[in-house]
Amino acid sequence: MSGLITTSMPGAMSAKEPRPVQAAKRRHVFRFSKLFISVAIGLVILLPLFPLYWLVISSLKNPQDFLKSPPTWFPAHPTISPFKEAFNAIPFAHAFLNSFFLAGTATISVVVTSMMAGYVFAKYRFRGRDVLFWVIVATMFMPPIVTLVPLYWMISRLGLSDSYLGVLLPWLANAFGVFLMRQFMADVPDELIDAARVDGASELRILWRVVAPLMRPAIVTLGVFAFVYYWNNFLWPLTVLQSSTKYPVVLALAQLLSFNMSAQYQNVVLAGALVASLPTIIVFLFAQRVFVQGIAKTGVKG
Amino acid sequence: MFASVQSPALAPAHRRYVGGRGMRRSRRLRQGRWAAILLSPTMAIVVCFIFAPIGLTFWISLHDWSMLTPITQMKWVGLSNYRQIFDDPIFRSALVNTAIYVGLVVALTVPLATMIGMLLYFPKHRGRGIARTALFSTYVIPTVAVAIVWGALYGPSSGPFAAMLKAVGIPAPAFLSSPSTALVSLVAFNIWQMLGYYTVLVIAGLTQIPGELYEVARVDGAGFIRQTFSITLPLLRRTITFVVLIALINAVQVFDPVYLLTQGGPINSTNVISYDIQRTAFQYGLAGQASAMAFSLLVLLVAIAGILLGLLRRRSS
Repeated sequence: MSGLITTSMPGAMSAKEPRPVQAAKRRHVFRFSKLFISVAIGLVILLPLFPLYWLVISSLKNPQDFLKSPPTWFPAHPTISPFKEAFNAIPFAHAFLNSFFLAGTATISVVVTSMMAGYVFAKYRFRGRDVLFWVIVATMFMPPIVTLVPLYWMISRLGLSDSYLGVLLPWLANAFGVFLMRQFMADVPDELIDAARVDGASELRILWRVVAPLMRPAIVTLGVFAFVYYWNNFLWPLTVLQSSTKYPVVLALAQLLSFNMSAQYQNVVLAGALVASLPTIIVFLFAQRVFVQGIAKTGVKG
Repeated sequence: MFASVQSPALAPAHRRYVGGRGMRRSRRLRQGRWAAILLSPTMAIVVCFIFAPIGLTFWISLHDWSMLTPITQMKWVGLSNYRQIFDDPIFRSALVNTAIYVGLVVALTVPLATMIGMLLYFPKHRGRGIARTALFSTYVIPTVAVAIVWGALYGPSSGPFAAMLKAVGIPAPAFLSSPSTALVSLVAFNIWQMLGYYTVLVIAGLTQIPGELYEVARVDGAGFIRQTFSITLPLLRRTITFVVLIALINAVQVFDPVYLLTQGGPINSTNVISYDIQRTAFQYGLAGQASAMAFSLLVLLVAIAGILLGLLRRRSS
């Protein structure tokens, strides 16, 4: 990361930066024994990971091992056949392509539209700007279920039910994205933009060549957030899509679950769940430092 | 191209030289046009797919309409859909179930996130980074997969929870298959998935507390409890209100695990409001009633959010 970013955004980075000299005196008194803190932190690591551990070992068990009661805590005869069966039972690979297409398109669109809107709300002055901004941000708190019926009606009136475009249309912009981009862009010094204006650069050029390069942490944060959100979204594709060839992974997974309610196929369903989670987990692990700090930033001034 | 960036002193002079009065006015006009262009994609989506549908939800809620017939055959019934849903014991129990679920999620997550946030921020100790990653990683897992994993964890014979309880001699409850425990069992799904997110928000709030306050408190001899209640918690008030609001909005939306695992049962014990709305609209085809439920939910949420923000404002002034 360039020095410019860190110096222009002290708030975003402070969580990771070493504390100043008198650090010890300036901290909350926290006089617990080292052992107690170690145990507590250990629990905070292990408890969230336990269900994931269970997911992994269960999907590696063969049906006999899986049905043992009490359960075994490690697969005695690890096998990858549940994964094979999951891919055979439903067109998982195709569902992956669908998910990548839907979540990928929505993510790119949300990043672009949010940068455009965030730039206006951070750097332009006009009457009603803040009211408009908060009206848009307020929609972030509206549960999608509230508008599900009319939204479905609108999409089918447009002849877009059971189509990718029908799923994508409401996903092309996002209030949280606008909020996040404004938070980050507010830290870009005005002088930088004014200087570029004086040099005769057009607004689009300023946004693309001056502001965007400074927004890398914001773009990563919003990109990961949007990708995870749209990859995981279940209710809206469930409402719009009917033909299973268009299903994203989460719908395919639900289909697998309903096909295989019987207990001996549960390991297959779990294997499917593991596979369906991998893309978002991988994206998160790659981007986690920037992503977690970026999410933190949305909570500071909000 | 941006030589003036390196020497900020140059920028104002530069501007004074170029910008006369007329110049400034034309720039404002130009800015107005650009603002409109840059905002239009977001505004188009927000207006078409959020604001218009909110209005339509209310409009449909005043009508009798099955989604299978064209909207022109919608019949005006005034507020009778509202009367019907609030007379309906199933919808009323959905409201109660949702309130219990949301109440439990908020009451458990907010204190947990605050405590874990303090634990991972204040003491310098190894493993904090890993803990933050582990805690947050569950946030990115699809809720459908979360439902499947927890369904397996709650398994009556081959699930680890039942086995652990049996091992210490406690008879295992039926978790998701008993009306008395199903709803409470679902709470764990949400807490497991969201706790890391809220903890990160709490940690972000903690970074904003000036260290001098702790220094002064330390000189005055304030210990852990005193510092927590006189400095940390009061200064976290904004963050905590924000977390309560997000946790509430998030928990109200619970749908995926109910749809996938319990279908509202056993005996409607997990029939929560989002599931009831979806089922009423798309399985029973009662769009008018479903819209009345949806609009009531929106009004309720706006009222709760208003109260929360009002409380925050009054206390801070």
